[in-house]
This record gives sequence, structure tokens and C-alpha cells, in this order.
Amino acid sequence: MSIQQIKIRTGNQMIAEGALHAGCQFFAGYPITPASGIYKSMIEELPRRNGVAISSPDEISALAYCVGASARGAKAMTATSGPGWSLMIETVQYALMTELPVVIAVVQRLGPSTGGATQGAQGDILLTEYCTSGAYTIPIFAPSTAEECFEVASLAMFWAEELRTPVIILSDKEIGMMSEDVNFSSLVSSPVNYRKQPVNNDTDGYKTYNFKSLADVPLFSPIGGEHKTTITGSAHDKGGSLQKNSPETIEVLRHLQKKITSRAEEMAFVKTDDDPNADILIISFGITARTAREAVKLARKQGMRVRLVNVISLFPIPEKLLKKAAKGVHTIFIAEENLTGQYRSVIQHLFAGTIVIGINSFGKMITPNDILGCITL
Amino acid sequence: MTTVQPKTFLKDSVAFPFCKGCGHHHYVHNLDRALSSLQLDPKKVCIVSDIGCIGILDSLFVSPHTFHTTHGRSTAFATGVELADGILNDSKLKTVVVIGDGGATIGLLHVVNAALMNVDVTVLVANNMLYGMTGGQHSGFSPLEFITPTTPEGNIVPPMDICAMIKSCGAEYVTSISATDKNLTNVIADAIAHPGFALVEIVELCTEFAIGNNKIDGKTIQAMAEQHNAATLPATFKRKEFCEEYKSKVLGHPSKIKNDALTQRYISSLHGTRRWVIAGTAGEKVQLSSYLLMRAGILCGLHATQKNDNPVTQGSGFSLSEVVLSSEEIYYTGIDVPDVVIISSAEGLKEVTANGTISRSNKQTVIIMEDSLPEITTSARIYRVPLRSMCTPQRATTSAVAAFIARELVIPIEAIVDSIQMHVGEKVSLYQDDIKKLLPLLS
Ligand SMILES: Cc1ncc(C[n+]2csc(CCOP(=O)(O)OP(=O)(O)O)c2C)c(N)n1
Ligand code: SF4
Ligand SMILES: [Mg+2]
Repeated sequence: MSIQQIKIRTGNQMIAEGALHAGCQFFAGYPITPASGIYKSMIEELPRRNGVAISSPDEISALAYCVGASARGAKAMTATSGPGWSLMIETVQYALMTELPVVIAVVQRLGPSTGGATQGAQGDILLTEYCTSGAYTIPIFAPSTAEECFEVASLAMFWAEELRTPVIILSDKEIGMMSEDVNFSSLVSSPVNYRKQPVNNDTDGYKTYNFKSLADVPLFSPIGGEHKTTITGSAHDKGGSLQKNSPETIEVLRHLQKKITSRAEEMAFVKTDDDPNADILIISFGITARTAREAVKLARKQGMRVRLVNVISLFPIPEKLLKKAAKGVHTIFIAEENLTGQYRSVIQHLFAGTIVIGINSFGKMITPNDILGCITL
Repeated sequence: MTTVQPKTFLKDSVAFPFCKGCGHHHYVHNLDRALSSLQLDPKKVCIVSDIGCIGILDSLFVSPHTFHTTHGRSTAFATGVELADGILNDSKLKTVVVIGDGGATIGLLHVVNAALMNVDVTVLVANNMLYGMTGGQHSGFSPLEFITPTTPEGNIVPPMDICAMIKSCGAEYVTSISATDKNLTNVIADAIAHPGFALVEIVELCTEFAIGNNKIDGKTIQAMAEQHNAATLPATFKRKEFCEEYKSKVLGHPSKIKNDALTQRYISSLHGTRRWVIAGTAGEKVQLSSYLLMRAGILCGLHATQKNDNPVTQGSGFSLSEVVLSSEEIYYTGIDVPDVVIISSAEGLKEVTANGTISRSNKQTVIIMEDSLPEITTSARIYRVPLRSMCTPQRATTSAVAAFIARELVIPIEAIVDSIQMHVGEKVSLYQDDIKKLLPLLS
């Protein structure tokens, strides 16, 4: 290990670092534990890099500022927790419909409502993914360490720009607020990209939402740029004109989903702690994935054959990778810190014929012994 | 580049989608004339429209950028556009918000905040005193006694005077005018030209829902506009536009990120994991002591995590930290059985009792606690020492950490002294004295 580059950082700070590394130019924030650390880091650093970091009077404004800035061409991001997220939902839907890239870091805490501000939880998986009217897939990436916060922030910025769509970083209180040693010399990041733009001389033919095949991402021109833009959250044709259910409008709506699902395999990202002869598979994510890793270490000491999959790209669900990981095992355990097994509820159909068991907790972290207890039963 | 100024920004021969006689007709024509009279390049104009009958005017415009947003939020989207434009691009885009009284009711805070910021957004409120698109329900702008489907007995809540309200936010260009006033084009043009936040309330009639049940006509509307416009515009504008202010005061200071990368300087004999819980009172540097411990570990090439806890109000009550040090990568960051527990005050003791730290301690656990605290029952090994009087409450936990390290020598004492010194400089000698006094009490 190269000790030279070790710094003490929280997950929140590393999300900010990752976003800055990815070229984030605009941040708007509103205070909420346990996400405030991202807001603070961005306010401190972004203006020093000639970007804008601004305080908003509520979370609706925070995201609307970001989406407005994105329409003007800025790579934008905000951060919040469950209560603020619920205020942002209408605007997330709007960003999705208007194909405006934006990254939202949701640092989970105990719900419902204002719940436990300083207590960890993984209970917003379905609230974040299934927040859209119309049921669209929103890419969600979940980090499990401060280093992964950097990696995931840069990944989220990448996919937001690449697909012109909102992307969520789903962190949690433990990862966000805990400090740990971070090796800056081994940080992983995605390429720094920018939404694809039209070549400038074709101003007349420009349509805000043009595409040939459903999976194409329309070329982006900013408000204030050379091409007249027609942005609308209402159902629209490729030119952005409001239309009710015309065939072209329905095509545009289908495209919103297709552009994401057609890239699902590229987005699919899991980290596997493998045993090729495993007969047990543990699936987890976020803070619980690292606990599971400890449990797996202990289980292997007892001679058990266990494979662990830490799911980073929660959505689109990395179906192929999960199915592959399930090959040869007789039982699958899915560990997550919520009462109802939210992620399990959307992936267990992939494992027909295999026993699937949830390991759940609420109001307190799952411990390695909790997991060990379940898998050795 | 020269651009030919268009005579109109509107589409040719397109039918307006509004009812016959609707005040929105005047609004659109006057906005268009104002934009043309200012000779703006349409590519440098953005119309951000809200929801409602007024919101759909975006489809009438052919050349400027249009941004049709959500109910009430148009001013917030426009603020985002302007911030990115004025600070990141310096392109002097003119951003006009087209919003109804309904939108201004639900989205009032966005208008207030844009006015407070003095961002260069022009908000044109089409006040027809009701929600037109959804069937004429009353809004926050409906006058007293106004009859609508949702106020069948007449409105009993007085209307908002948005001009008065927004003036109180420090906005310098705020005015109210009737939609049929012949001065409307000029007023809108002035508002757009104003290099900062501007708001014009355009008082109108919804012919579909306002008349019939209510005695309302051009004169009433004129009177209402005049009443809202009681204060005239100031002779000179004094405030700096927000983006200009941001660029001069906030942008481009040298980075504060210090190079706080740590280099391994010491060797620890730790193989495996050590889990520490440190508890005391808020304001007594409990979390700092944990940070210093964590840093000492990292100076020895160990991995480390630190978690802090405190009551919802951060400056009172207990303060608690958990530190995990390990020779291997740390997966599990919680503490089931602690190896070392330090308790410096009654608040700290209460918390480690309540959260189960004490009951989960066992024979391997060492507890160092302030000797004035009550007895506790545990199989852990307990050292009761006068932490507060010997080291002062402020140094109590840090000195206890350092003394335990000095006793155990798994982490070299130099590492923790170094870590403390990096924070307190010369005052490290006070801690070294504390260690000398505490050490004999820990054997
Ligand atoms: C969040 C939300 N709530 C409610 C609505 C329904 N809605 C559509 S238009 C409108 C009222 C618009 O009134 P106003 O802004 O005064 O415009 P007008 O139709 O009078 O021109 C409402 C409440 C909506 N679109 N979004
Ligand atoms: S309903 Fe009222 S506000 Fe809407 S178009 Fe008709 S007259 Fe105008
Ligand atoms: Mg209205």
C-alpha cells in the first residue's frame, strides 16, 4: 500500500471529490443530516474552481436550480436525504421528461417522515427508483466505502451526461458521515464526458428531442446556444411541441425508457468476493455489503463456501450478473437494512428454483453475526 | 455576428389557445412587442413558462428559447438558468418567467428568493385572480367576496399583494398594471431591460370563470393594479445583480483544500482489529480525540474508521465516537464488543449505558472512566482515574487515549503524540504531562 496518498475523508466528502473530478460545475443545496457534508464540501470548493455552489430556500428549488443550470449547459448536482428527496420528486420527473442530466445524491436515514436524522438505514430504494409517474428506470448507484463514493459519483456524472437523464447516488448515513482512510493513489473514476452536442452549422434542422432509433440520446444544445431549444415537461413530439398521444409522442415516451434499458449491460456493476465452488450466495449493497464481507470472511474460516456480490448499480437491475452469480448455489441471502426487503422484492424473481432468504434489520446496522447466524442455520 | 432583429418573436398565423376575451391575449402581444422593441437577439432570450392557461404560451413563440416547466416552479428553473448563464457563461441571456397567480401562489418562495438574490430574472405574473386551467378555483390572489367554484359563498381570505411582498424582499423593479393598459409594452420592456430582478403584476380577466358571478370589469382591474402599485419605482437602482455579486465576492478564491495526505512514519504491532468507544460531553473535544487516535493509527499504516454520534442538538448533551483500527481493510464498521472504552463524564456514561456499549463489553474490554462517576457492573477491566481534574475536561479523553496507548505500546506513543502535535502545536507538552500522570494509574 502506498501510504503517501492516505487522507481521512467521509463518504460525503468523497462524493463531492468525485463530482468535482467529473467536472461538476453547478451545485445547489439545502441542509439535511446526513447529506449536509456534500453541500458543505461543494460550497467550500466549487466556487474556487470557478463553478457555482448555491444555497436554496428548499429542496424543490435546489433541484430546480440544478435542472435550470443543466438546461443552460452546466453539469449539475444536488444532495439530500429522504425528506428532501420527497420534495424533489416532481422535479426529478421533469428532468427525466425533458432529458436534462442531473445527479442527485440521496443519503438515506431512518424514515418514515423526518424519522431518525442521525440513524442509518437502507429504506429508500424503492422510493428513489419508483418515484416517477409513468414508471421509468432511473439509474441508481450505491457506494459502500468512502473510496467507492468517489468512484460512484464520477460514474453517476458520466451516465447522467451520457444518457441525458437524472441519475441517483444512493448512499446512507453510515457511509456518508463516517470518516475513514482513503488511498487517493488508487481512486477509480469514469472518463470525464459531456452530453453530445450538434455540429453548429446545422441550426435550422435542430430539434430538442430528436432521435433516429428509440435508444438514441438526442443531441443537446443549451438555452442561450446557437440552436433554438424547446424544452417541455408535457408530452411532446421530437421538436418539443406539446402533443397528446400522437404516435410520435408515444415514440418519444418509449425512447425515454429505451435509451436507458438499452445501455443496462454497460451500466451493470457489481463487485464479487468469489468462491468458485460456493453453494451459498450473499447479495448486498451499501454499508451492509461491507458487513457482509466481514461475515463471509468469518464463514470461510468455518469452512463454508460463500460467494458475495456487492451490487453497485442497483438500477437498471444487473440481471445477467446476478443470475450468473447465482449459478451453482442452493441458497441466496439478500441483506439490507430495511424491514421489508425492498431490493429483494425486485430481484428475487431472477432466481426461480433457488431458495431466497432476506436478512433484514431496522433502526440498527446488520452485524456480521446476524448474517453468519442466518447463513449457518 | 450580426443578427436581423425580428419584428415579432411569435409564430406566423397561429391561433392563440385562450378563450375569447381572455386577458392572456393582451399579455402575449405585449410581451412580444416588448421583446421586439428591445431588439434582443432571440437566441439570447429564454421564456420560462409555468403551468396553467398562461403557461402554454411557450408554443406561440417561434424564435426565443422556451422552457415550459412545472406548476409554480418556473422562477426556480429560471434562477438556475440565469446562475449558469451569468456566472459560468457570461452571455447576458434575458430570462423571462411567465407565471399565473396560481403558479405564484404555490411557488411564492421561488419568487421571493429570486427577489432576495436580485438575480436577473423578469417575472411577469398574469393575475386573473383564479386557477383558469383547472376550472376557475380561487387562488391566493382572489379578492374578498370573489365567487368561484371553491368559494361559493364568496372568498373570505384577503388577496395577496405580491408587489408589496416582493418589494419587501429588496426587489427594485416591482410594478402592477392592467392587461389593457396602453403602457404595458413599455413597462414589460423596462422590466426585462432592468439588470436585476424585476416583477410585473399584470391584472387580467378570465372571461370563462371570473365574470358572471362577480361584478368585475376594466375599471375594477385598473383600480386593483393602481392599489398594488402604490409605491412608485425608485429613481435609481442601487443593488448589484446577483451573478455580478457572486463573481466579485465568491468566485475564484484560492482553494482551501490543504494537502493533508499522511505518510506512514511509525510501525504498529497490531495484528487484527481494535475497536474503541470514546464518550463524554459535547464541547469537550471527544470527537477530536477520536480523530487524533484515528490519525495516529494511520501514521502507523493501519486502516481506520471513525463514527460520531450526538443528540439532535449538536452543542449539548453527550458526545460519542467509535474508532476502529485494523491492520487489515475494515469491512464491518460497527462495534459489537469494544476493546477500549473511555468515559469522561456523566453524559458519556449515560449514553454508553443506553446504547449497550457497557452491556456488550466483556473480559477483553478495558474501560477507562472518570473516577467521580457512579459504579458500573460489567466483566470488563475498569480503571477509574481523575480524568477531569488531572487533565481538564477539554483534554480528558485525548489524554486518556494517549495514556492507554503509552501503556499498551501496540501503537508507538510517538504516533499519538505526533498526531496531537499536528493539531495543538507546542501545547502537546500539556498532554505529555497528562500521560505521565495517568500512566501509573493504568497499570
Ligand atoms: C403540482 C401540481 N398541482 C396542481 C396542478 C394542476 N394545475 C394545473 S394548472 C393549475 C392552475 C393554474 O392557475 P394559474 O397559474 O393562475 O394559471 P391560469 O390557468 O389562471 O392562467 C393547476 C392547479 C399541477 N399541474 N401541478
Ligand atoms: S379559462 Fe380563463 S384563463 Fe384560461 S383561457 Fe379561458 S379565459 Fe383564459
Ligand atoms: Mg390564474
